[in-house]
Amino acid sequence: MAFGFLPQLPPAFGQPALFGALLLAGLLGGELARRLLGLPRITGYVLAGVLLGPQVSGLLGPGALGEARVLIDLSLGLIVFELGHRLDVQWLRRNRWLFVAALAESAFCFGAVLAALLAFGFEPLLAASAAAIGTATSPAVVLLVAHELRASGQVTERMLLFTAVNCALAYVALTLLLPFLHLEHAMRWGEALLHPLYILGGSALVGFLASLALLWLAGWVGKREDRQFILLVALVVLAVGAARSLNLSVVVTVILLGTLARNFDYEHVLLPLRFGYGGQLFFVILFVLAGASVQFTALPGVAAAVAAFIVARFLGKGVAILAFGRLSGVRAGGAGLLSIALLPMSGLAVVMVLDTQAMYPAFGGELAAVVLSAVAVLQILGPIATQFALKRAGEADPAAGSA
Amino acid sequence: MDDLRFTPSPGRTLGVELELQLVQSHDYDLARDAADLLGRLAKVKLPGHVKPEITESMIELNSAVHSQYAPLAAELEAMRDAVVREAGMLNLHVCGGGTHPFHSWSARRIFPTERFRHILERYGYLAKQFTVFGQHIHVGCASGDDAVYLVHMMTRYVPHFIALSAASPFYQGEDTSFQSSRLTAINAFPLAGHMPFVESWAEFIAYYEKMHALGAVESMKDLYWDIRPKPEYGTIEIRVCDTPLTVARAAQLAAYAQALAQWFLDERPRPAKRTVYLVNAFNRFEAARFGLRGQLIDPFEEKKRPLAEDILDTLAGIMPQAAALGGAEALAALAADVRRGYSDAGWLRERFAANGSLAHTVRESAARWADDKPRASG
Repeated sequence: MAFGFLPQLPPAFGQPALFGALLLAGLLGGELARRLLGLPRITGYVLAGVLLGPQVSGLLGPGALGEARVLIDLSLGLIVFELGHRLDVQWLRRNRWLFVAALAESAFCFGAVLAALLAFGFEPLLAASAAAIGTATSPAVVLLVAHELRASGQVTERMLLFTAVNCALAYVALTLLLPFLHLEHAMRWGEALLHPLYILGGSALVGFLASLALLWLAGWVGKREDRQFILLVALVVLAVGAARSLNLSVVVTVILLGTLARNFDYEHVLLPLRFGYGGQLFFVILFVLAGASVQFTALPGVAAAVAAFIVARFLGKGVAILAFGRLSGVRAGGAGLLSIALLPMSGLAVVMVLDTQAMYPAFGGELAAVVLSAVAVLQILGPIATQFALKRAGEADPAAGSA
Repeated sequence: MDDLRFTPSPGRTLGVELELQLVQSHDYDLARDAADLLGRLAKVKLPGHVKPEITESMIELNSAVHSQYAPLAAELEAMRDAVVREAGMLNLHVCGGGTHPFHSWSARRIFPTERFRHILERYGYLAKQFTVFGQHIHVGCASGDDAVYLVHMMTRYVPHFIALSAASPFYQGEDTSFQSSRLTAINAFPLAGHMPFVESWAEFIAYYEKMHALGAVESMKDLYWDIRPKPEYGTIEIRVCDTPLTVARAAQLAAYAQALAQWFLDERPRPAKRTVYLVNAFNRFEAARFGLRGQLIDPFEEKKRPLAEDILDTLAGIMPQAAALGGAEALAALAADVRRGYSDAGWLRERFAANGSLAHTVRESAARWADDKPRASG
């Protein structure tokens, strides 16, 4: 056949084209959302993803989403690392009420969502898994909004700290529920008990080793921002890859990597973290993909449960922060804004639902629909809530514009 | 217009104001949490006062009025400990130094009070560049005439205070080559400089009323002079010092000013002389640029000599006054540092050379502020 140099039709576009297309879509979506609707850019990224995804145009099919899983993991890895890096153990030691407040925020939220789902007649074990997923605030949304607003202050700092804590605790809770799920699944006791131990212990070990490697190599490389940035990306990606290949939890591994690197840096070898423009790329990709995996179709059927899930989640967080916030030094009015800032849910929750489903298929159907629909709603509303809270708290830089 | 009646101070009282930096603990850039910190400090019983300053990255410690060095030093330490503790609850660090080494002035926000908004409106970007941190020393005088005489006599020693307090070698991420780059930021204000050569309080009032009538000055606060009389407190206020890296050094500088004032006002060793202001700009530049290694033109002897030598001779000369006021120990500590060439600016440069990062230099500076152990050579 002639013209053998031509590609077959339709041409198969690989990862690079996908990567570029996602970035472009995100950029356009973000700018349009901000200019036309006055919404945060993140909401625009998500909406661009929704438009590209299987629910609307289908340009990003399930196949493409599967291929992009590696991008999601890498993006999430870098974001979660930065979040872990913000978890300052010294602060929690100096301010014990803050520690109490952070634990209570997660615990109350978990309890409130669990109660709401039980009231809707869901099976306790499944409801508990869903409540664990709901405990986590989206790390990507809070970090990106904080970055774009150049926010700094007590509400911002506590939002990031609480998010780091609630993400870590959500994963630990979900992992600890595994034995019970396994037992329902007629698995042997030994295997059921060893599984969570393997996940948590293994993730901790990988995170710990990676943090040692990071600190040792950073000391050797010296205090050069450019080189430390490369080193950091390399080790985060390595840790993500190792965690995936070993069937460990990517999030627990990388949060620990960030936290340990910050808190074990006794020789003070690490420079302050600045991802700059490079980091923005990962954020955009993550939100477009999260948008593409949004499922609105199930929403009408479970609307009441979704509303209960969202309201209970907000009240749980809010009550804990109102109860302990003042003791930990939040100014009057700050507690309410902090509760609003912690609303977002996003890609992380989707990943948790998918992982739970993979291990335990019974966690599907209606309950998955409730969680995923809540994610869909909060993916749109969450960034708006966080932006509102930080601006109202007076912690956004007026010169930075909107997120 | 301000009331310019001079409230006489009993004896040689002294007081200190320290402008302090608030920094974030994750990147050591300036924080914006002054309001939250002040809110917490309002509930703590403190010996002096803590006040907002022009930007949200700054607070100001005001000591009570003291007559002796030791109680002043103890009070500043107590205030420092309280501020460090409350800042820690908000995950903030506090540090001394005349400038933040790498903050970007465009990111600063003005503390939302009427006066500070007015300053921003009037001075534009100068107001944000004015995120610099100084120590002000008040010394009490019995009358306005004494204050005028004291300002003229003290002006010869302005380079001493600049060199002994210099702690701002870095500005906007650069080594400025100056020991005190903070002074340069202040020079840009229209009413920076020095008091005119008036010879009595009556002449001073006439000058001020003229400036006010001309519309050049609205209040005494518009006069950003190196040393200015403060009639409502009954003091002169020395404003050229960078905030030192430790409260110990801040108290020592106050003791030095007090002993000098005692010498001038008790003995009236010589009359005020106009030549002081001829050489003032040269002397001031030498001290800000080169610190203890600078030169000083003595306007009374009319010859040039090394600044360090001049400081050591002066410290030795007023030791009797210092001893009588209880400040001998402070002057001895200053002299020891001059002899070994130590300055806070030198310490900051040394730490930067050792750790290779301005962020980590701020970290070490904050650690030193919080817990001032006897230091290594600088």
